[in-house]
Amino acid sequence: MIEIQRNRIDVGSVVDSVRRDDAGAIVVFLGTVRSDPDVRALDYEVYKPMALRMLTELVERAREKFGVLELSIVHRAGRVPVGGDSVVIACAAAHRSEAFAACAWVMDEVKRIVPIWKTESGPAKRRARRP
Amino acid sequence: MQIEVRLFATYREIVGEGQLAWTLRDGTTVGQLLEAVLTKYPRLLGHRSSMLLVVNHEVVRSDAVLREGDEVALLPPVSGGDR
Repeated sequence: MIEIQRNRIDVGSVVDSVRRDDAGAIVVFLGTVRSDPDVRALDYEVYKPMALRMLTELVERAREKFGVLELSIVHRAGRVPVGGDSVVIACAAAHRSEAFAACAWVMDEVKRIVPIWKTESGPAKRRARRP
Repeated sequence: MQIEVRLFATYREIVGEGQLAWTLRDGTTVGQLLEAVLTKYPRLLGHRSSMLLVVNHEVVRSDAVLREGDEVALLPPVSGGDR
């Protein structure tokens, strides 16, 4: 499952999408919007066709690099309030070490190369870009 | 020929639009298009060194030749963030 969506992410369905009988571990990562002074939400801007292509490539690379069995990535676009999930990654592997390693690697790569930009939104801090 | 230029985040805010239609002579490269965009929107000049050039959703070098109907995107650095 690879998706970019404006509505809330159903974490359970992302986890279910990677379940397999030959998996001994599923690692799930939730990226959540952290509260900072004057920040009520983050606005995510996504170049969607390119982002979907890059996420698909990342899944393939993670399969080759770590031997993971299934990997799902769902990212939000638009406004996500403080406490909301902005990204959910679920990774299934035969053993937990590959699942942990792949999940961490994929999240780092999403942050590093996928065309998604975020802006802080709040009463006093209307347009500050968050690094 | 007609091509489309997409702008995101800081660049979209600077230009005031996320999508521009641009008419070019055949054989124009992405680099030449970028020069034209920078001439029209000089406030983008300071971002030139960190700008990623993309054609039809793939990163390209500035000497890539454009074709009718191409979608060019000028991408600011992505969000990154602390680990």
